[in-house]
Amino acid sequence: MRRCDTASVFPARFTIAFALLLCAPAAPAIAAPIPHGTLELFAENSWVTPGHDFSLGLHFQLEKGWHIYWINPGDSGEPPRVTWQLPNGLTAAPIQWPVPRRLGTSSIVDFGYQDAVMLLVPMHADASLATKTPAQIAGEVKLLVCRELCVPGKAQLSLTLPVNPEAPVPEARTRDLFAATRKSLPRPAPARWSFRVDDTKDSFELIASGGSHIASAAFFPLAESQIDNSAPQKVVPRAAGFRLTLRKSDQLLKPIQHLNGVLVLSADRAYVIDAPVGEHAAAGASASGVGSH
Amino acid sequence: MKRSIPGPMFLILATCAALLLIGAAKVGDTAPNFTATASNGKIVHLSDYSGKYVVLEWHNKGCPYVGKQYNSGNMQRLQKQWTARGVVWLTIISSAPGKQGYVTAGEENAYLAKMQAAPTAALLDPTGEIGHLYDAKTSPHMIVINAQGTVIYNGAIDDKPTTDLGDVPGATNYVSLALEQSLAGKQVATPATRPYGCSVKYSDSSH
Repeated sequence: MRRCDTASVFPARFTIAFALLLCAPAAPAIAAPIPHGTLELFAENSWVTPGHDFSLGLHFQLEKGWHIYWINPGDSGEPPRVTWQLPNGLTAAPIQWPVPRRLGTSSIVDFGYQDAVMLLVPMHADASLATKTPAQIAGEVKLLVCRELCVPGKAQLSLTLPVNPEAPVPEARTRDLFAATRKSLPRPAPARWSFRVDDTKDSFELIASGGSHIASAAFFPLAESQIDNSAPQKVVPRAAGFRLTLRKSDQLLKPIQHLNGVLVLSADRAYVIDAPVGEHAAAGASASGVGSH
Repeated sequence: MKRSIPGPMFLILATCAALLLIGAAKVGDTAPNFTATASNGKIVHLSDYSGKYVVLEWHNKGCPYVGKQYNSGNMQRLQKQWTARGVVWLTIISSAPGKQGYVTAGEENAYLAKMQAAPTAALLDPTGEIGHLYDAKTSPHMIVINAQGTVIYNGAIDDKPTTDLGDVPGATNYVSLALEQSLAGKQVATPATRPYGCSVKYSDSSH
């Protein structure tokens, strides 16, 4: 169910964004070839304003059926990795990853993206950033692109942005693409939700309290080797919320204190959660950390 | 001697394990027995090696993560180093016919000669039976079994989950560490990791 939801919603948004991109004249960024696709580096704003943070976008477009990987790739593969070369005064934060999809077969499940995806990179521009020279941004991306087969690839990206003391202005050409990407990021769960995990012998029971009539849910673990990626995730609705059974990974030998990840309830409801794990977790224990604030 | 399970009983157990996908190769479990045809034509039972350490290496020559290990000569070095110390090294190919990495016996023998690979045997598992029995996820997924027949390591070959040949020299090799520690009578410090690599190219109809 979830697979169909994401498939029908996200590509549609992206398709509109692509159409707009194709119509734009004189695109300054050139798409770098990657195995079975292209990769482009975009800036959210037309110039860099010292003291104002902004985002870059790594925009992947893949041939039909090929995929790249989420931060936790699942059973096989590996996520794209970027090494930045930035001028003094510009720093890059870790990538913000849109909600992934489950990919693979019944015995091997990966987490990633098909067709197209943009990964966001939050950038910090120091107030002291020099305005005389344009900012030269360069990045080397190493990645793995797979369908039935896997092909490793590498791309050199570069972008030159003016540095201007005036207030930042969104780049019209990519405004819709950045907006669509932001919508595809998982959000903190609403304050009325709380999460906890009961640790049983073979599984983690994720107890979610807050919503009603939840009939489908999918959990994507942020850390590797905590849950069995290919095991079906069984949802049992509760009066106010649901229970999701996540079979433990064979590679997990020690107890864990927290289960972190992305919980997808529907195409437009994906939450970052950090649920405490306990053998008899206290009822009403609230979600903590990134998920609840 | 734990591995000396009678033939019919073994078949039933193996089939159940494969069908239920139970964690048959979890660290601490007894390694399930299997029977396979090696590329040299011999029939190999895991129980033949009772009393010896055994390394299982899931292989697919078309996978770039496997290529990293073989093109750097690292896998062959490990095979020679450990078989010289009495360890049994079984390379297992679970690619289904028509899938990447599937080989006939002759093709595998040519590959072993060309790469100067030196496993004790290369086992052909086109049905994926052994792969599913051990829940092998990737190539190269590595499993180490001690002389008592207990799984003591299950996971990646090393701590660098990339396809870069340049990452081989600086990597911590989990298989060698597990063997060294266990042979020295110590606990294996890192007994389980995520087995990185390409997915095993099982037949579409099996699971």
